[in-house]
Amino acid sequence: MSTTETPSYKPDIPGDAVTQTTENIHIELTPHALDSLAATRFVRSPSAGATVLFIGTTRDSFNDLPVSSLAYTSYAPLAMSTLHTIATTLLAKHALTRIAIIHKLGECPIGEESIVIAVSAPHRQAAWRAGEEALEETKKRAEIWKLERFEGGEGVWRANRDGVMGVKVGEDKCEGGQAGGASA
Amino acid sequence: MAPSKAPAGHFSILYFAAASTFTNRANEHLSAPVEARDLFSKLEELYPGIKDKVLSSCAVTVNLSYIDIDGDDAPDLGVVIKEGDEVAIIPPVSSG
Repeated sequence: MSTTETPSYKPDIPGDAVTQTTENIHIELTPHALDSLAATRFVRSPSAGATVLFIGTTRDSFNDLPVSSLAYTSYAPLAMSTLHTIATTLLAKHALTRIAIIHKLGECPIGEESIVIAVSAPHRQAAWRAGEEALEETKKRAEIWKLERFEGGEGVWRANRDGVMGVKVGEDKCEGGQAGGASA
Repeated sequence: MAPSKAPAGHFSILYFAAASTFTNRANEHLSAPVEARDLFSKLEELYPGIKDKVLSSCAVTVNLSYIDIDGDDAPDLGVVIKEGDEVAIIPPVSSG
């Protein structure tokens, strides 16, 4: 499922990075440019012989349609908790030394980093596997949403699980629906 | 990002992504208490069409914990959403 947005939509995002760091886990949601080198430095350790770094960048097309810009929004407190759970689980499962998961929020220019995952482990097999699993679990579960804006058109909320184009403009908007209750 | 504190007798509800587009708002306050089984019907009254077009593919959290209200035998249908609770409508995610 995805739903269209008007071209003027501005994502509601925190003004600064939200981070949670322990001795071996670093989780971050940030409106700033992602620093893959900092993630690598965080996981580096004399007891780890392998460091795997994944950098996800935003593509300029979806199903051959040109994408002009992207923005990410999030339910930050819940996404932080979900990412921390993913990191904790993988740390134990693959006997990792350290893990860092960093995701961009807000506007993300085409071709720039939207996600950085760094993992370190004593040996390469565990690091490779954990790196891939961290990305797949994040894409599946983290409460973060991508709005893709197509050239000359409106935005579409993407859903990782179906991978199809969203519904057309106007079909999915409640016209004249007004909420009761106190206004927020 | 977070909504202002709900006034007495109300809970906060947050709408993300497609849910926010459909309701044309990021959050609001609705009167409490509400039983979880009635939440989607209540939202359908406020936003006709939202159940089929948006909510049918969404998950729901109450105070940052997921509740399972999908289907007639779902375990959390009897959960009561109370004054001051924070409910969120979670559409399918798309990070990465």
